[in-house]
Formats: sequence, C-alpha cells, structure tokens
Amino acid sequence: LAGPPSPPGQDPHGWRVPVDCVRANELCAAEPSCSSRYRTLRQCLAGRDRNTMLANKECQAALEVLQESPLYDCRCKRGMKKELQCLQIYWSIHLGLTEGEEFYEASPYEPVTSRLSDIFRLASIFSGMDPATNSKSNHCLDAAKACNLNDNCKRLRSGYISTCSKEISATEHCSRRKCHKALRQFFDRVPSEYTYRLLFCSCKDQACAERRRQTIVPSCSYEDKEKPNCLDLRNTCRTDHLCRSRLADFHTNCQASFQSLTSCPGDNYQACLGSYAGLIGFDMTPNYVNASTTSITISPWCSCKGSGNMEEECEKFLQDFTENPCLRNAIQAFGNGTDVNLSP
Amino acid sequence: AAAFGLYFPRKEYSENVYIDQPAGIPLLRIHALRDSHGEVAHFHLCQNLIISRARSHENHWFQIREKTGLLYLSKSLDREDFNLLSVGNWMPLSKVMLYVFLSSHPFQEKECDSATRTTVFLSLMNATAPACSSLTARQLCFTEMDLSFHIKENKPPGTFHQLQLPSVHHLCQNLSISYNLLAAEGLPFRYNENTTGVSVTQRLDREERERYELIAKCTVREGFREMQVEVPFLVNVLDEDDSPPFLPNGTDTADAVVEFNRKEGTVLATLTVYDADTTPIYPLESSRKKYTGTIITDDPWISETFRVEHIFDEIHFSPNGSQVRGTQHEYKLVLNKSISVTEHRSFMLDVLVNDTEFHGPERSVMLHFNVSILPVSIQFPNMTYQFTVNRNAERFAQIGKICIENCMKFRGVNISYKLLSPNVSCYPVSILQGREGKWGSLYVNDSSVLRRPECKEIQYTIQATDKQSRKHTKTLLAIVLEGTLLKKEEDCPDSCAVSKHRAECEECGGFGVLTGRCQWRQGSGKGITTNYSTCTPSIKTCPDGTCDVIESKDPAVCPQDCTSGNIIGGHGKGTGNLGIKSGHGICYCFPRQNCYCEKDDIKEQLCDEMCKTVI
Repeated sequence: LAGPPSPPGQDPHGWRVPVDCVRANELCAAEPSCSSRYRTLRQCLAGRDRNTMLANKECQAALEVLQESPLYDCRCKRGMKKELQCLQIYWSIHLGLTEGEEFYEASPYEPVTSRLSDIFRLASIFSGMDPATNSKSNHCLDAAKACNLNDNCKRLRSGYISTCSKEISATEHCSRRKCHKALRQFFDRVPSEYTYRLLFCSCKDQACAERRRQTIVPSCSYEDKEKPNCLDLRNTCRTDHLCRSRLADFHTNCQASFQSLTSCPGDNYQACLGSYAGLIGFDMTPNYVNASTTSITISPWCSCKGSGNMEEECEKFLQDFTENPCLRNAIQAFGNGTDVNLSP
Repeated sequence: AAAFGLYFPRKEYSENVYIDQPAGIPLLRIHALRDSHGEVAHFHLCQNLIISRARSHENHWFQIREKTGLLYLSKSLDREDFNLLSVGNWMPLSKVMLYVFLSSHPFQEKECDSATRTTVFLSLMNATAPACSSLTARQLCFTEMDLSFHIKENKPPGTFHQLQLPSVHHLCQNLSISYNLLAAEGLPFRYNENTTGVSVTQRLDREERERYELIAKCTVREGFREMQVEVPFLVNVLDEDDSPPFLPNGTDTADAVVEFNRKEGTVLATLTVYDADTTPIYPLESSRKKYTGTIITDDPWISETFRVEHIFDEIHFSPNGSQVRGTQHEYKLVLNKSISVTEHRSFMLDVLVNDTEFHGPERSVMLHFNVSILPVSIQFPNMTYQFTVNRNAERFAQIGKICIENCMKFRGVNISYKLLSPNVSCYPVSILQGREGKWGSLYVNDSSVLRRPECKEIQYTIQATDKQSRKHTKTLLAIVLEGTLLKKEEDCPDSCAVSKHRAECEECGGFGVLTGRCQWRQGSGKGITTNYSTCTPSIKTCPDGTCDVIESKDPAVCPQDCTSGNIIGGHGKGTGNLGIKSGHGICYCFPRQNCYCEKDDIKEQLCDEMCKTVI
C-alpha cells in the first residue's frame, strides 16, 4: 500500500477535520480491510475485558489499523440525527482504547465554537432591553414569560412539566423515566437562548432562586428516596452511552483550569453551560441544591457517604459540581449578561 | 492479598514540559511506600505515551530511574515532536499521559499491565522554557496539582514525597528555594531539610485518625527579595479490615412476634452490629458478600419462612476527639412468605454474622431472634350487626362496614365476606370486598325492594372466610328499614355530581344517596382547594380522595373521586390520575364525560359599579 487511507477532509493547517462517526462508519464499511478489522475489534470488545483483548494479537492488529481510519478521529454532534448510533460507534472503539476507568474521559462531541455573546444578541431581540440594566425584575419569571411567547418553547416546556408532575400512584410519585425523556427533548430541541435563560437566570431574592431551582421539576427529575454514592452513580451513568458522553462532555468543557482567566477551558463559557444543560435528563442530572441567592451550589443527587477508601476520588468527582469555579463563573456571567471578550 | 505490597502514595503526578528543553532535565520525582520491611521499589515506565483522546504514541522522550523514581527528559522535545504529539488534541493545552509501574524486583519484561501504577500528566507547553525571573513564587514552589497523599494504615514508615521540584531546582539554581512543613508538631510526619523529603515516621491507624491536614510552606529568596507561598498538604489514611465486628451495648437478642401482620416481606426485628472499619457501598454486592449474615438452622421450614436482610450505613466514631468513619450493619429478620393464621410456634433463631476479610479470632458474632408466631382467630366481635336503612336510599348507598375482630390490623391475611341469602323475597343489600381483603362494605343493590311495604326487617347471615386456611365464622345481620317514602322529583339526573347549585342539589336524589336527597358540601377555601364546593350523595364518603369499591361500580356515584376524564378549570388531580383532589370554586361532573371546576360569581357581575352608574 502506498500510504494511509486518504483523510476525509483537511483544514488549512493540514489537520484532519473529524467526520461524524455515522459517516466514518459508512466510509469504513466501503473499505473491505477497514470493515473487517472493525468487525474483529467489536468482537474483541464484546468480552469487555481490555487486558484479555490486548493479549490477543488479532485484536491488537485490528486496533492498530483502525487508528489510521476515519473511525478513529470521529466525533458526534449534540442533538444530531442518529446521535445514539453515532455515540455507540464512538465508544465501540474508544472503550477499547481507554481503560474505561479513567477519572476524566474525553468528550465524543465536537467542540463548541459559539460564544455566550451570540446568545445575548439574540436574547435582546426578544426582550427589547438589556437584561443587565433592569435590576428590579425577576429574571427567572421573565425567562418563563419569554418561553411562553414562543410556541416551540412553550409546547416542550409544558410537555415536560406535565409529564414530571403527573402522579402515578400513592407510592410512585411520578414516572422518572418519562420525565427525563421530556426534559431531554426540551433541552435538545429548544434553542439555548430560551433554555439558558430559564436555567441560569440571576436572582436577587429567594422566590426567584426557588423558581430557578424548580425549573427542571426536581421533585421528579432530581430528588430520590435515597442518595446514592457519587461513584456508584457515575458507574451507572457510564453504562449508558448517552449519559457517559454527556458526562465526558461536561468534564471536558467545565473542568476548572488554572491556566485561563475565567477558570474555564479556552475561556469558553458557552461550552460549559451547554454541557451542563446536556446532563439534564440523565442519571447524572445536576441542579441547584437550594434557593440561596448569595451562593450558587450545584450538585447531582449523590453524596460521598460510604466511599470507603475511595472517598478522596469521590470528593474530587463531586467537587467538579459543587465547587467548580468555571461552572460558577459561567452561570454568573450568563446571569449578568457578560462574556469574556477574546480577540480571535 | 497481592504478591507484593508496594504502592504509590499518589494517584497522579503532573509537570510541564517546554519545547527544546535539553535532554537530561529532571522532571519529577515519584515515591513508593512499602507493605513490609525489606521491600525495594523498582520503577518502570510504560513505553506508550497516551495522548488525550486515547491515541497512543511510542515514547521516545521520557525515562525513569528504576531505583530512585526520577522521571527525566531523555531526548529534547523539538517543535516537530511537539506538533506530532499535539495532533488530535483539541484542547488549547496538549497533555500526554504516562503510566509508571512499580515492582519489588527488577523489571524483566517491559510490559504495561501491572496493577500497581500511577499516572503522570505532562503538559506540553507551546513555548520554550520560561526564564526563572518570569515565574511566580507559586510556580517556582509547587505544581498545579494539590498536595494530597494517601498512606495505608498498619504499614512501615517511609518517605513519600519530595517538596522540591526537580525541574525548577535544575533550571533556577541561582534562586534560593527552601521549604518547611507547618502544623506537623506531634504528628507522625517529618520533613528532611537536606533532601526536602517528607516521610511518615510510624505506622498509622485509620481508626485513630484518618486525615492529616498540614501546610507546606515555601520561601523563595532572590537577592534581598523574599516571597512566601503556603499550600495545604493533605494525608488521607487508607483503611484495611483490621477491626472485628462488635455489638452496641452488648445487645445480641431481639424479640420477633408474628401476629396480625403475617405478610411476606414484613420486617419482624432488627439487630445492629458495628464495625470500626469502613465499608464501601460501591460496588454494593461485593461489600454485602464480605459481611455475611446466615440463619443457622437445619429446619427446612425455618429456612423457607425467614430470610435475613443486610443493610449497612456509614457512621462516625470519635476515638480521641477526631471523627473517623465506621460502619453500622443492620440485620433484619424478614418473613420470606406469608404465614397461615393457624400457625403457632416459638423458637430461637440464630444468625451468624461474619466479617470475612478480618483475620482474627473474633471475626464473627451470633445474633439471636426470639421468634413467637401466634395464631389469630377468625371471629366476629361478640355481637350481631344491625343497620337501619332509609327507605329512600338509592342504589349504591353505603350502609356500613363488616369487619372481623382486629381486621384493620391484618396484613397478609385475606378475608372474604359473603351474605347468605335470607329466606324471604326482600333482598335489598349486597356486600363488596374492601381493599386488601380486610373488610366488607354493605350497600344497597336493589332500591325497589326498600320501597316495598312488606319488607321491614331483614335478617341475614354473614360469613367471613380466611382464603388461605379456609377457616370461617358467621354472625347475624339485621337490616331495619325506616322512614316514609318521599315523592320523587321529576327530571333529576342519576348522579348528584351533575348539580351545580345548592338548591338543585338538595332537591334531587341520585345514585348512592342515603336518605333520598343529595348533600351539598359548601367549600370555604379560596383559590384551588381540596375543600371545594360540590354536590355529593354522602359527604362522609364522597369526595374523600379515594375511589372506593362501591364508588367504582358506577361512574355516576362519585365522579369527584373516580373520574379519569378531563377536568376543565383550575384543579389538581388525585392519586393515579383519578378524581379531583382539589378544585377552584364549584366542581361538577357529567359522568363518563367531563368535569368542570369554576367560580360561581355570575351574581356579583350582574351589577357592578359601572351598571349602577348607568341606571
């Protein structure tokens, strides 16, 4: 062979532009050597034990060949058609490459390039006023009003609210599964200028902060009879391709960094808020823990009780939600209508 | 246990690498702690660099000294190398990851699959190494990563960290950087000024203290300038199973009485066992297996009828002021199947609790449950039932409840109630089984019989039967008819719930009424309230928030409790989407169709200020 298979696309810097995994899968299927190796690798991984897999020469060879294929670099888009299929293809390769036990996993999603300022521009068109100048109003109430004036937002919001508040029986408070599904639809299909305003509105009094806390109907979507251990919850999340991907995306975009002004990777607030919203409707659904106006504390529904020797790791995992300067700055920046101005 | 017990006191290390740094630069120092005296640590690097997003690349640049754990640059990383390692990295910062392995004997095969490993993150900086003068004191003294360590309890002492950063020490030799460890007085840690090493000086005991918070202080001197930086230095003590189970207050016996509650799944009694060790709830199943509770019996009936459920929870002990985590195990004696009402026995049931990972003589405790299974009798209270029924009562009117002795306390006992037909033609009432097989509800089944003058007092025999044992009992029931017949209003609907106003409600009858007339419930609340105004056959039973067996016989009886259709107006739905739990103003229903809740304020609107002025 003359060389590696021709890359699907190149950007001006000569870097390979990733294709989505569904497309990469098609490209691979059209190439006999790639498709047979991919089949082999999937069989290798079916056993789910990385060490046994790597011990096998055939499996290792398959992995090496696939590292040169478009499948290797492929990514997925949030809310794309066939998102689940795309993620299944992504993890079918990457589960074999990583240990599957890493603290932070790389996001299978394409990086977010838009900025918060894009949202503010759009938002000011609806409200006709600068949100920062109007200090007396209840921003969370304004956000609900704005949503009700948009047919799509109103329909999907009332959809999830009625699903999440429907009592099933005396013992079953609501159908959590259906509620989560409805919430995912809302956050996937409604533009972020509406959803972020509801989720990240800034508050000066408790009634407003309580409304903000209630946005996702936490009694159904968030709270549960018992608080599981966070590492246990992470494990549950990682068995599901979608939840795993959204969590990895959150870790990629909201991981506090010392090397940026805002504590956010690449000073990109929009990306962090987007991956936060992307977790809603999964096992790892985060929310405000109280209606405090002075301090914002976010957490998934879990605790580090019963961590044994893993307590440090558990605390570290939990603190990425509860004490994350990037996430907190991003939420505050959105509430204040400020974004970092970066020259391109 | 593992073949060797060497371990890393940190899970992760980090350092920055710059373009064109010369070969030979030391990057960082890794330490290992021992499990037993005499062990010698050997360090080894996996020959793969893992770049974020899991592409791996052969390592040409980094090496580790096998004996000392010093990681150094063996080959300068030039621009070309940097580009090679950055491809596929999306983040502005390129990070490569290395695994360092540990063994008690020299490495022979260069394999990468030992279980004992730590991770080194190297941040590739897209620049040449900065001048020492441009670095802040924080950067000169510490890496970004927290100084956080874990040391296993009961292991020999040793050095586990070096405060000095090897790369900085190598590059900035004209700076004086010194360290100190604060708040270490009286604690089992020592700082060695010559090596800047920190060591643990004695075996630690997690059950005494599980967290040490010290402060690492760094002083940078450059000519006359002096800068100081302090960062937290944390040591967590890792737990091993070195404590036996024990009983709080010595309690090892509990009474377990089975009487009215005989249902499968009933918790009869609970005994608690403490353990000073921690028990991770993750993964749950393996922790359950480590701490077992077994019923000791050779009686197959006992092992079929009972089971032990084990739950555990983290609790805190305070051995000497500081809080340490421990475990509370609860063993619950649970009925594995429903027990017949005739069963009668008592015995001692022993449960052996075993801490399987504790290596000592007191690894188990015995728990004793004093079990008494009492029989319950199926009999009516010592009396005959007598109910008076108004001759104007309508079909589905609820007359009363029939209940054997203690019936409301029963669980897991299913009683069926039956009326044995009287020898007369007057037969107006029937019985329906209440929920959970506890009681029977008497109701009017044929209202025309009530109107017949020859029917005055009717005697029935009621029989109650326990479904499982077929035991039964009988009593007498007398129904006395009273009252004079009212003239029936024309044009009245079947259902009271249709009436929207008090007047039309109280002049009509409907399904379920006791005295021939519907009753009006006047709500008092404002807004959407559970106390809404409505017209009902009997305020006692409708609306009461539950759609009972008689109400569910016909949707016209009490749609306020039973409707599953639309409710128009301000309302809240009842449990399971049945009925109107709360409503706004007056709620009325057309059975099998919609219900409406609305404020009846037409009168007020008839003549407001505006209209008065016009007049």
